[in-house]
Amino acid sequence: MTVEATLEAPTDTRRAARFSGEALTAMGLFALSAGMVAASPLISPALGSWSQIYTILLLVSFLLVISFGQGLVILTGGLDLSVGSVMMLGGVLTTTWIGGDSATFWGVMPVVLAFGAGIGALNGIGVAMVGIPPFIMTMGVGIVTASLALGYTGGTTLGAAPPPLLLLMKGDILGAPSVIVFVLLFCLVAWTLQSRTTFGRKVYAIGSSRRAARIAGVPIVSTTILVYATSGLCATLSGAMLVGYSNGATLRMGDPYLLPSIAAVVVGGSSILGGSGNFVNTICGALFLATLESLIAASGLGQGWRTILSGLIIVGALLVQSGWISGVFASVARRVRGAGG
Amino acid sequence: MKFGKLTAASFGLALGLTGLLGAASAQDAPQKKYKIYLSLSYSGNNWMSETANIIKALAKTPPYDKMVELKEVISGTDPQAQIAAYESMIDAKADGVISFPISPTALNRVVKRGCDRGVKFFMYDSTVTERCAYNVSYISAGFGENTAQELVNSLGGKGKIFMVRGVPGTSVDKRHYEGAMHIFSKYPGIKVVSEYYGYWDDRIAQQETAKALAAHPDVDGIWSELGEAGTLNAVVDRGGKLMPIVGENMNGFRQGFLNEDYKARGLKGVSSGSPPATAGYAFKLMMEILTGKRDLEPVNIEYPLPWARSDEMKPCQGEAIADGCNVFDAKLVPQGFSTVIYDPALLPEINLQSALTGEPVPGMTIQPLPKEIVKAANEPGINCNRCDPPADLYKLTTATATVQP
Repeated sequence: MTVEATLEAPTDTRRAARFSGEALTAMGLFALSAGMVAASPLISPALGSWSQIYTILLLVSFLLVISFGQGLVILTGGLDLSVGSVMMLGGVLTTTWIGGDSATFWGVMPVVLAFGAGIGALNGIGVAMVGIPPFIMTMGVGIVTASLALGYTGGTTLGAAPPPLLLLMKGDILGAPSVIVFVLLFCLVAWTLQSRTTFGRKVYAIGSSRRAARIAGVPIVSTTILVYATSGLCATLSGAMLVGYSNGATLRMGDPYLLPSIAAVVVGGSSILGGSGNFVNTICGALFLATLESLIAASGLGQGWRTILSGLIIVGALLVQSGWISGVFASVARRVRGAGG
Repeated sequence: MKFGKLTAASFGLALGLTGLLGAASAQDAPQKKYKIYLSLSYSGNNWMSETANIIKALAKTPPYDKMVELKEVISGTDPQAQIAAYESMIDAKADGVISFPISPTALNRVVKRGCDRGVKFFMYDSTVTERCAYNVSYISAGFGENTAQELVNSLGGKGKIFMVRGVPGTSVDKRHYEGAMHIFSKYPGIKVVSEYYGYWDDRIAQQETAKALAAHPDVDGIWSELGEAGTLNAVVDRGGKLMPIVGENMNGFRQGFLNEDYKARGLKGVSSGSPPATAGYAFKLMMEILTGKRDLEPVNIEYPLPWARSDEMKPCQGEAIADGCNVFDAKLVPQGFSTVIYDPALLPEINLQSALTGEPVPGMTIQPLPKEIVKAANEPGINCNRCDPPADLYKLTTATATVQP
């Protein structure tokens, strides 16, 4: 009996430690976001209300969808720099191929999404089969995608948002804003895919150690292609949602989302080198960034100070998360104790 | 950023190639051909492609179709790229360069070099401070102060307002903002409760306005630079009462002024700001000078400020621009389309199709410009260097104060 106990104990503690670390980061970020909302009436008395929370959730929805794909790619040890362009192409195709016509929406929207997934798959093929570094491959595909959209539209993006997308971003379903219901469903599906399926396990395995994964028989090429295709799909979906929100597309609409999509994943506590991370953490990272943005916007500070503040807070959050600050405190405490003794 | 630049460069290259092919096939024309270069920044919004299309359509309208060899180069958003583009145009012995300049000062040296070699530089909308270039712009016409006064008038001199600015650090944003603040600061009852940047993009303006509305739901009026269609979307989405909004010329914004429901909920205002038609006026002026029809030394020229109040909106029937109509059907153009593409006196050659595609209007010929030009006032750092602004720089030209401070 004693022998059994000593054999089991190490496995259990390791797993518990890993999960609690990630869960702590997620809970910390969530608490911080909630705290910021609760404290926001100090900045402006009208804040802290449901309408502020709704605004944050609405604006974070684009980032959440795009970050899921980015998170999967980062999990494999890659990086997807094409998401901004693919998102824009998704928006442009949504307005030009479908436009303000509800009748064609259900037939053509899947084609648009498949198109985006196809561009993502191209990234995956370059990375997994040809061995091009993800950074270069996705950048190249991003440039080509953006040029395609520019050439295709000739600079003027015609067309309007399809009514079902307007309904998604602005309507209600069962008394709740439909975009929030949609995002909740999306998060549930995304989390299940990443944490509760064999596909998800394969992605983790590739990110932890490509060699070990290969030896274990994980189909590296097809899994990597699927991961990048998912990222393309998510970026396209996000572009379509943005079209629904702002009733049209422009050729720069994806640019503001590229870096935040990476930031949400990393602030959420995933390793930029791959192998570790959780979609719940990315959700909390994105929520944190969006809440921060909305608060800083309300602060009435000048543009320069706003950017400085938001940069400092993000770096601060990462420092706390990395344990560096607690390490410094611990060593200072040790020295103080040592000097005292 | 990098993407935009590289994409623009590759697209520019492609256009350059088509330009070369086109030029080769038209070699047999006996007349002297003027070598004209169109140099653009690239911002991805509708405005820039509209100006390029207007110039392309004019270059294909008789008699210019036989006289002009037009090549387009797009230089992203970095001044260095545009400097390099100008250099190669000068070396290619251009007769004229018509351009949206990226910086008011960074291009001065290369522009001077071009002038010394006999190249005529025509800048539209945005400007350079080099004296040997012609600046053709609405910027000195006072968008900021006139729209601000209009907003103050409709608020009865008091209320909480938002200010939606453009791209931080640009001379155009600074001029608009200072003009507007000159007015707002005279009225103690006007309180700017939130000021943010919409980057002249309706999507960004919409999201930033949504954030500002969460903090200040009781806002009474909004002053907005380009992107006002998004600003309007945000307040409409929020539901409830609307308020006076002054902004630029996006079709989606003007459409809002036609909406009976919005008007009943309190929307009114004025549509003003940067007209794409300036590009066409600048091109025609350059051609008149090059062909010897007009004698004019380099000068700063003012394009009239577009001005359409909410009760002056007149929908155009289909694609035709007639009877002073000033807003297009929402199905024909995107909400971010800048509507001021035509002027009965200065630019009658253009219709909606030509602004969308760059094709000339069938049967149209180039009409001469009115003899008189309007000289622009000195704007230090915008259209002149080491110069004094007039004492009444921010005087009202279009709006009149109906409410006294």
